Amino acid sequence: MQLDKMDLGIHDFFTYPPVGEDDYAYMFQTAQVRSMETQMLTRTALLDMANASDFTSAAGSLSGTEYTLPSGAGAAELETMLRQRRSAVRRLFEDLMLDERIVEIFRNRNDYANLRLVLRRVLTDKPVGADYSAEGNAPPELLAQAFEEQNYAILPEHVQAAIDQATLAYYQNKSVRQIDFAIDRAEAAYGLERARTVDGNVFLVNLFRIQVDLTNLRTMLRVKSLGADPRDALLEGGFVEMDRLRQGFDLPYEALGALFFATPYHHIVESGAGYLAANGSFLVVEQQCDDYLLGYLRQTMQIASGPQPVIAFFLAKEHEIRTVRLILTAKKNQLDTKLILDRIA
Amino acid sequence: MLANVNATRMELLRLRKRVALASRGHRLLSEKRDEISRQLIKIARDIQPLRQKVETELSQTFRRFMLARASMEPEHTTAALAVPTKKFSMAMQFASVMNVKVPHLLKEIEGEIICYGYATTSGEMDVALLSLERAFDLLIELAEKEKQARLLAVELQMTRRRVNVLEHVVIPEIQETTRYIHDKLSEAERDNTSRLMKITDIIRK
Repeated sequence: MQLDKMDLGIHDFFTYPPVGEDDYAYMFQTAQVRSMETQMLTRTALLDMANASDFTSAAGSLSGTEYTLPSGAGAAELETMLRQRRSAVRRLFEDLMLDERIVEIFRNRNDYANLRLVLRRVLTDKPVGADYSAEGNAPPELLAQAFEEQNYAILPEHVQAAIDQATLAYYQNKSVRQIDFAIDRAEAAYGLERARTVDGNVFLVNLFRIQVDLTNLRTMLRVKSLGADPRDALLEGGFVEMDRLRQGFDLPYEALGALFFATPYHHIVESGAGYLAANGSFLVVEQQCDDYLLGYLRQTMQIASGPQPVIAFFLAKEHEIRTVRLILTAKKNQLDTKLILDRIA
Repeated sequence: MLANVNATRMELLRLRKRVALASRGHRLLSEKRDEISRQLIKIARDIQPLRQKVETELSQTFRRFMLARASMEPEHTTAALAVPTKKFSMAMQFASVMNVKVPHLLKEIEGEIICYGYATTSGEMDVALLSLERAFDLLIELAEKEKQARLLAVELQMTRRRVNVLEHVVIPEIQETTRYIHDKLSEAERDNTSRLMKITDIIRK
């Protein structure tokens, strides 16, 4: 039954794919995140921040929350505070999650981010450096050591595989972008593969497939907008068929809505493409993608107990941190309120 | 002010040549001043819309980059921009405008400005970098024109000062000195004539 739910097609669900079954081993964890969810910033609070007249009043509206900034705080203090909040959320997620493999899956995101950075530097003969994230599975020292000694065997197998793929892709035409494309593909494939083997796998698999779809939709619009080469840009493993996405590269913006009409991403594509054609900006498509993902995460409300609410809380909290950063950075730099609202509303 | 000169016919001839040369120089420098002014106004008219365009593009770049950076994880921003692929080199050539050596910037740009994958980066980063790319071309053109304008303005100032010095100081001074020598020589001539008349008168008596 679970396998069926994991291998759904794009027409097998209406708005969101299923989130899986309850797992009563997570009762305490689910209750904890349910209580913490009530302390998250509401949509109204975020809109109030966006509509604030300046940075001070936007930051002031966060007083009494975990994002409180000292008076006179600048961009550096804001970034430090947000990084601390993100680390705290990640630590909490690691503490709450009973299945270590799920933690490892999410920590892998940092491994791949480190890998992108180190491979770009190594393959273009730049110094390896030491500014890597310490929140991955492979410690930064190990990564640096592996590349300095060219001894990749000390790294996890999936990282070794990604290094091989990225190096081969780079040397095909010595394009730095190919490194990213190869690592993006490796990251998506590894995430999906690992998600199939862990607790709450229906939810995780569907979550990663949605993420792949949303990435592909954004990629399709970006490639069209840039007039770039669409080869290697798309990721495999999502719900949307690759042929449909490839067809999208050749269609005008106004025809994209019709192309995706039978998919749950119809609104994302239609409004995103319309805004892109009118304003030359990706703000709406990114906002719609975030909304869709958060909508799927909200579906975990149906789960009384399980890893799904914990994962949903973790991802929603990361999104909240990004939103706070976005609004405060925009306010600090006196950006137009309309731009902020287009991105978050 | 009178120049400290000997009131001799030689000096008078020399000063007349000088005043003729100074008047010719004054005319030429006036023409140069007018031409430089014309060129400067032309460049200034080009600069104004160019500067507006550059400011618009840079403000667009800044806004979009801020939005992109804020909506991406910091690690992804670092990774995306760590190794830029766009290479840029510039050479300078000089052209002569009214004998002023103005620079002409020759740029050589290769590679793509978008140097990252799509999965972990924001589309706003693309918009920001493309806007920066456009701004960069305009920025070089603006720098070239502003440098030309500055050099021409300095030259205009110098030329105007030279014209004014010739017109109000050098030529009037020489003319005054010429008049003085002329008066002196005429006086000496009259002196000599009256002396000769007196001697003739004495001899007759």
